[in-house]
Amino acid sequence: MLCQHCQQQEAIVHLSITENEKKREVYLCEPCAKKNQEIGFVFHPAIVPEFLKALFGFNPALLKQPSEMTCPKCGISFSKITEVGKLGCSACYETFETQLEPLLRRVHGGGQNVGKVPARRGIAIKSRMELRKLKEKLQHLIQQEAFEEAAVVRDMIRQLEQSKGEENHDS
Amino acid sequence: MTHKELLLQRSAWMAETDSPVVISSRVRLARNLEDFPFPHVLGPEGAGQVEHLVSQVLTDIEGNIGRLRYMSLTELNSIERQVLIEKHLISPSLGGSIGARGVALATDHRFAVMVNEEDHVRIQVLLPGNQLLETHRLAMELDDALEAKLDFAYRESQGYLTACPTNVGTGLRASVMVHLPGLSIMKQAQQVLGALTRLGLAVRGLYGEGSQAFGHMFQVSNQITLGKSEEDILTHLDAVTGQIVEHELQARKLLQDQMPMLLEDKVWRARGTLQNARLLSSEDAMHLLSHDRLGSDLGLLSKIKDSFTSLIVDTRPGCLQNILDRELDPSQRDEERARLIRGAMREA
Repeated sequence: MLCQHCQQQEAIVHLSITENEKKREVYLCEPCAKKNQEIGFVFHPAIVPEFLKALFGFNPALLKQPSEMTCPKCGISFSKITEVGKLGCSACYETFETQLEPLLRRVHGGGQNVGKVPARRGIAIKSRMELRKLKEKLQHLIQQEAFEEAAVVRDMIRQLEQSKGEENHDS
Repeated sequence: MTHKELLLQRSAWMAETDSPVVISSRVRLARNLEDFPFPHVLGPEGAGQVEHLVSQVLTDIEGNIGRLRYMSLTELNSIERQVLIEKHLISPSLGGSIGARGVALATDHRFAVMVNEEDHVRIQVLLPGNQLLETHRLAMELDDALEAKLDFAYRESQGYLTACPTNVGTGLRASVMVHLPGLSIMKQAQQVLGALTRLGLAVRGLYGEGSQAFGHMFQVSNQITLGKSEEDILTHLDAVTGQIVEHELQARKLLQDQMPMLLEDKVWRARGTLQNARLLSSEDAMHLLSHDRLGSDLGLLSKIKDSFTSLIVDTRPGCLQNILDRELDPSQRDEERARLIRGAMREA
C-alpha cells in the first residue's frame, strides 16, 4: 500500500486515530510518519507476557529444560511461567534460579540487589551488602590508583568484618 | 465519608504547581507476602485471606501518613471503578477484575495502595509537580509501616520478589508526568523521548498503554529495578526529567521567537473553542486544554481557576458521570463535557 500522504513511498506505519469517538486509519511511509509526529506519536509498549516469552524463548538452552519441573511450594511448572510471564510464588525464584538468571540479566543488566533491605529481618543482610559495596569501591579506587582513599575504605571493611566476627561470637 | 464522597475528593496530584512542564510525580513499590503464592495463582480463599490481612494493616496505620480507607472492588460499581482508573489510583487491570481485590486510599489520594493486583501489595504515592524525592520518601514511610506488621518476600540477591521478574529488586517504578506541547508542536517530541529508551527509561501516553499521547502528556518511568539502588534510580530519572524540561522550554521559546502568530492563533483558537463549544469529545478536550495551558503558561492567555490536570481528568467519561451522578451515553457526555469546561472558562 502506498503512503496516503505523499502517495509515493510504501506505507510502513499504520496509525489508528480516534477523533470525536470515530476511528480512522492512516497509512504512512516512514518520512511522512516522522513529519506527522504531533498527530501520531505511536507507542509500542511491550506486552509483558509476550515480551517475557520472547526473552525466555531467546535462549534455546532454556527450552531444553524439562518443562514438567514444578515449584515445590506453589506447584507451578516452568512452562506455565513462560506462558503467563509471571512466577507463582516467592519460592519460584529459588526453584527456577538457573532458568531465570539469563532473563534477569537481559531485563536488568545482571546486577545484584543493592536496594532497600527490610528493617525487621535485615540487619545481617544489611551489613553483608554494605561490605560488598565497600569491597567494590575498594577495587575501583585501587584501579584508579587513589591509594589514600582506598586505605580509608580498607579500614572500614576491616572494622565491619571485625564487628561481624564479634556478633557471630556473641550469638 | 462514603465511597462516593472519597472518590469526589480532589486528588492532591492534580493541583497546579509552579512547574510548567512536570505535572506530577509518582512512585510505586511492589511487595508480596512471603507465605502466600502470588495473586494470579491464589485461589479465591487465599485471595480473601490476603485481602483481609493487608487491608487490616493498612487501615490501622496512624501518624504522619494519616488514615487510609479501604475499598474492596466488590463494593464499587463500574463508574466508580472507572473514576479510580482515570485518576490513576488503580490500574486498568485491577479495575476490570473481580474477586478479593481493592485499594486503600488517603483522603487526598496521595496514597493509593492496591491489594491483590499483580502483586499482593502495590504502594503508590502521587504528588503534584516535580517532587520525585518527596514522593519516594512518603512511599518508604508507608512501606516501613507495613513492613513492621507484614513479612514481605525478599531474597538478599534479588531483593523484593515480585510476580513479574521485570519488577524484582527494589520493586520501584518511579515516574513523572510531563506536558510537552512545545516539543509536540515543533515536532521534536519523538526525537527527544525516543532517546530515553536508550537510557533505560520507558515513555507512555497519559491514558492507557499503547494510546497516543493525548493532550501532549507523557509518562516517563524507570525500567530497571534490580542492580540499582532506589537512590540511583531516582537520581537518574530526576536528571533526565531536568533535561526534558529544558528541551520543552527551549521549544516554547523557539515557538515564541520564530512563529509567534502561529502560536497565538493556536492558543486563542483553543480558548475560543473551549469557551464556546457545545460538544467536545474527550480527546478534543485534552488537545484544546493542552494548547490553552501552553497559552496561559506563556502569559498569552489569562490563567483559569481550575487546574489543567483536574479539568482533563474531570472530563474523562467516568469522572464526568460520577460528578453529575448519572449515567450518560457518549453524545450526552460530549455535551456535558463542553458545559463543564465552558463553566470553568467563564471564570478565566
